Amino acid sequence: MSADHDHDHTPITASEEVSEFEILEVALRELAIEHGLFSAEDHRRFKEWAESREPAGGSRLVAKAWVDPDFKARLLSDATAACPEVGIDWNQPTGEGTPSDYTFFHVLENTPEVHNVIVCTLCSCYPRPVLGMSPEWYRTPNYRRRIVRWPREVLAEFGLSISPGTEIRVHDSNQKSRFMVMPMRPEGTEGWTEEQLAAIVTRDTMIGVALPDPDWTAAAAPSGAG
Amino acid sequence: MSQPADVARLKEQIAAIEPAIRTPLDGPYDITNDFYRTLMQIDHDLGGEPAVSVRYLEKEEEDWELNVYVTCETLGWRHVWNSEERRRLGNCELGRTMYLGIPYYGRWILAVAMMLLDRHHITLPELTDKMDEVRARYEGKAA
Amino acid sequence: MSSRYNVGDRVTIREQFSIFYTRTQAYTRGRTGTVVQQFESGLIPEDEAYGNEDGRVEPFYKVRFRQVDLWPEYSFPDDTLETEFSESWLLPAREDT
Repeated sequence: MSADHDHDHTPITASEEVSEFEILEVALRELAIEHGLFSAEDHRRFKEWAESREPAGGSRLVAKAWVDPDFKARLLSDATAACPEVGIDWNQPTGEGTPSDYTFFHVLENTPEVHNVIVCTLCSCYPRPVLGMSPEWYRTPNYRRRIVRWPREVLAEFGLSISPGTEIRVHDSNQKSRFMVMPMRPEGTEGWTEEQLAAIVTRDTMIGVALPDPDWTAAAAPSGAG
Repeated sequence: MSQPADVARLKEQIAAIEPAIRTPLDGPYDITNDFYRTLMQIDHDLGGEPAVSVRYLEKEEEDWELNVYVTCETLGWRHVWNSEERRRLGNCELGRTMYLGIPYYGRWILAVAMMLLDRHHITLPELTDKMDEVRARYEGKAA
Repeated sequence: MSSRYNVGDRVTIREQFSIFYTRTQAYTRGRTGTVVQQFESGLIPEDEAYGNEDGRVEPFYKVRFRQVDLWPEYSFPDDTLETEFSESWLLPAREDT
């Protein structure tokens, strides 16, 4: 369960030897560069961008929407266009977005009536420009098999119990759109700054498997959420 | 490198990870259309398959995993392929055993190899020679 | 490219037998739902997956299904699922009622 935030690296081999996947990747990258398919500089630039992506981007979107109703309206009507207001540009790093994430971003608003949760059953589509790389469990066959058919059971395993009177809406992101959940602002956060609010909007709340907790502090934050 | 005993052990291991379809599969003379459709089930389309609950663990990205992601995306950026080709090769053309047995970014990098070979950007001996060279470099580093 | 369906239309997903590649999940085939969003036209994944960059371009739609219409044992009548389709996967609704 994610609340345990177990950081054990799953070993690919039992020993300390270099992974065959790493050898294959280095070999293919070097051959691609030697054959002029891309340059070492292209790879370096894309990696620098990828390393700068983290869930904090999404947290800023949600916190700003919580305090600014006009921004919230813009975010819900055209999320891709609203992102630059918090410093996220979906056209980066190539000038036309990333090859796998496209530029069709949508924010799903949780309400007292509807709780949203995202998945990609076919691969693991995920809004990397705003949330960074997807968590490993999000990519597992297990999550993908079950969340579309037994969402209440899976959410309960994450410690999230949704009232039977609330509609659970699963979004199976299978084409070119990318989705993120905007959780509801919890009680007990009146008067908080945007920065304080952003700190409780964890990655999992934007996937839809958790709710923001006002007692949660950045100091206690598991690194998986940051 | 590998010994005959290693090969035998490898064969046993492969036998032990055959797809969990309990009908023995050994090149049947004839199959029903229904069974054909079962076998042709597209591997990545697994939403709704029954499965028991498991612990959902956090795992930091290894550096090679990030490099695989970036290599795939850079190939897309430079129009060598598109992401949908990557998904077809890495998710649907490996076969079910490899689809379920190989970690996420392992499948991505296998897709790169398949694509570069199919498109004649590289040859297979070129790739296996390069892998030997890289492996020797790592072993030299470790020594 | 003009869209054949509008938000609010009831649609049924085609029951085609796919080989090798699809992005239309088996669990949606033959099921009926409601169009909730239209997206701009794009290359269909069946062409894109083979690098046919000049292939078929179609409008895309997000369709909302009631979970009880997707899974026989589902017991929460209000729960829903949304996913997307290119236009040729959709047919005017074939209601079972």
